[in-house]
Amino acid sequence: MGSLLAAREGGAEGSPAETSAERERAWPHRHLLDTDVLTWPQVELVLDTADVMAEIVARRRPRSEAMRGVGLTNLFYEASTRTRVSFEVAAKHLSADVVNVSVTGSSIEKGESLLDTMRTLESLGTRVLVIRHATSGAPYLIAREFQGSVVNAGDGRHGHPTQALLDLYTLRGHVPDGSLRGRKVVILGDVLHSRVARSNLWTLTAAGADVWLCGPATLLRGFDAWAAAGVGGERRFTVTSDVTAALRDADAVMALRLQQERMAAGLLPSLHEYAARFGLTAERLRLAREGCLVLHPGPMNEGVEIAPGVAKGRRSLVREQVANGVAIRMAVLSLLTSVAGAGHP
Amino acid sequence: MTAGVRFRAGADLGRAADLDLRGWLVDPVRGREAPGDIVIREGRIESITWREGADAAGIDDRGVVVAPGFTDLHAHLREPGNEAAETIASGLAAAAHGGFTTVCAMPNTTPPIDRAAMVASVAAAAVASGSPVRLLQVGAATAGRAGEQLAELGELANAGVVGFSDDGSPIQRAELLRNALAYAGMLGLPIIDHPEDLSQTTGAEAHDGLVATVLGLRGWPVAAESSAVARDIEILAEVVRDVPGARLHLTHLSTGASIGHVRAAKAAGLPVTCDVTPHHLALTDEWLAGSRRWAWLALDDQGRARDPWRDRVLEVDPYDTALRVNPPLRSAVDARACLEGLLDGTVDAVATDHAPHSQVDKDVEFGVARPGIAGIETALGLLLEAVDAGLLPLARAIEALTVGPAHVLGRVAAAPGLVEGSPADLVVFDRGARWTVSPRALSSGGWGNPLLGRSLSAPVLLTIAGGRVAWEHADGQDVNERVGEPA
Repeated sequence: MGSLLAAREGGAEGSPAETSAERERAWPHRHLLDTDVLTWPQVELVLDTADVMAEIVARRRPRSEAMRGVGLTNLFYEASTRTRVSFEVAAKHLSADVVNVSVTGSSIEKGESLLDTMRTLESLGTRVLVIRHATSGAPYLIAREFQGSVVNAGDGRHGHPTQALLDLYTLRGHVPDGSLRGRKVVILGDVLHSRVARSNLWTLTAAGADVWLCGPATLLRGFDAWAAAGVGGERRFTVTSDVTAALRDADAVMALRLQQERMAAGLLPSLHEYAARFGLTAERLRLAREGCLVLHPGPMNEGVEIAPGVAKGRRSLVREQVANGVAIRMAVLSLLTSVAGAGHP
Repeated sequence: MTAGVRFRAGADLGRAADLDLRGWLVDPVRGREAPGDIVIREGRIESITWREGADAAGIDDRGVVVAPGFTDLHAHLREPGNEAAETIASGLAAAAHGGFTTVCAMPNTTPPIDRAAMVASVAAAAVASGSPVRLLQVGAATAGRAGEQLAELGELANAGVVGFSDDGSPIQRAELLRNALAYAGMLGLPIIDHPEDLSQTTGAEAHDGLVATVLGLRGWPVAAESSAVARDIEILAEVVRDVPGARLHLTHLSTGASIGHVRAAKAAGLPVTCDVTPHHLALTDEWLAGSRRWAWLALDDQGRARDPWRDRVLEVDPYDTALRVNPPLRSAVDARACLEGLLDGTVDAVATDHAPHSQVDKDVEFGVARPGIAGIETALGLLLEAVDAGLLPLARAIEALTVGPAHVLGRVAAAPGLVEGSPADLVVFDRGARWTVSPRALSSGGWGNPLLGRSLSAPVLLTIAGGRVAWEHADGQDVNERVGEPA
């Protein structure tokens, strides 16, 4: 896989057989809206490409020319620091021309429709649009009409594909043979409202992991039915509110952020009770396998869904997740812009 | 010539109809369907000849069908207040294209139809539109549709409303609903309720099921409808003891649980009626994920909903806002329960809940899009898909669009029928042809339609309302059976 990128950077490794048609077969997607449309080879292609990108990131002056002259806009309708900065850093490493647009409040309040905003940015030269939006499905609306590539940086409860890919990439780096097949991975917390959980379900089950979703019954609404149907109608996972059963012999645990508004919505009695019953504490973590990996998509409420000692503990991969996010996003951006016609005016 | 339409004189829209019809005649009032001829002169049915034996050869129910004009119990014409979405003129034109000759307009306009003077102004706009389609007005049940106090129901009744409804803002206070049922019952008119417990549907975007879970859409539970239905029926059971004229009509039921409540209430003799929409019969929540198969194809042998992911039937992009509707598209199991209710008579009528919106309100994020499907022009086509699939007898489909709604309105005696000497009020459609749903083919001002680009059964060739031509198929070329041109 490295050869593809090296070739595009003018390196010598590109084999003659690697025509654009073959690249298109390997990566046919002009947009990345969620992980559900990725075949397992395509997921592996992203991860392998991220390996190459990580090498670039590790250089003293990280720079690739893959997106030179390509306008990328981070269009964020929700406050976000890490995801927005991660995309910005990734795009800059690829020499893209980056613009950040933050819109507070809904597009309705702002008085301009999402499609009009998209068209404006398109007219201003944006060829890659990275969008974060509070409404599930919003990226699909703009992808329908946008001429370039759309990357979903989180839409409502629905999806956060680059997060799922970086989680998988991070986990892969810490299992002996690089395979998650049969490994027990627990996603713990507010699954109902979590786009991270949904996007991870597709990739982790595709990787063959034994996925468990665990949280209070109110925050698992609907997921029993999904588990019964299977991801993609076939890949099974387990849903439980029994945190002991979930964590027992786990190979990895991903704690999810709990929002304060869940109490006002009547979904939970209190943060205190949540932390007591579902918080990822050192004591609970002892149920898991020795060396169980700990992840969190951030930002963390330490002392609520995750104890400070666990968040910053020996097995915590939280900081590595953040670092890997840049390599994954570089990989995604370079793959998307390699698709014929996309990303180039 | 086997069957078709022969025009004798110019059939300009609005002109008195003057023509000869031959085809499969369906008379749901008398429960008769057979080949026959209808001669219309100066807008009146001069003669009806039922053909038998050799005379009937070559005419069957798979070709040109002639039926009484349809009545829609539930449509939103948006005027006054939102003429960008629909006007009375465009709404009535759409109705005529759909085969409807009578339309009950819901009162949730801006301002709402909660006073007698508003009824008169809408009626005047209907006359001004020049459309021969009859507009019947539903009055608001509460002042300003605010659910706080009764509207002037008696004054509205005097102005000619056919019932009362707060529709999309259903009465939440049970005590007020009780009083509305009693007061409207005194006037001999039904309360038309959109059953929804709003406390269960805050921010809801889609049927609370697998599709909503996967797509991350906020769920609209079955119980939010069925518990409101149960509440309404239990209150009705008490009110009707004091006010024998009290009547409850439950509109656009979408769940098997609701249908079950109504079935039991009817068995107990309560004065309750209900309708379902074509989209809740034919479409399911799968469509939000990108499936485009009919509801009856989404059930397995055991009557359970199939998984569109497993079946690999997701063929278009998800989150099409044309599919955002209230109540939401349900599971295939619910759709089947609605169909069974229609078959066994629990469901009295099919109503469209025609709810057009402008592009500004629809071409937006799914969760921001206004709910509603502008379906009055595709209602017949969707029902006929169920007929074509062998799930619904043609006669029952026609009944649910004609005498069914007339019964709900308490106007059985005035039910449009095929009657010699009376003004022609009928629809002619061609089951031997298909048509493609496209913006150009639609008369409604509403933006978007979930069926755009799809082919539907049976274009409407002709709609005659009150003796006048309300719709005439513009292009005879793709309708084989149509014969003759304006002489």
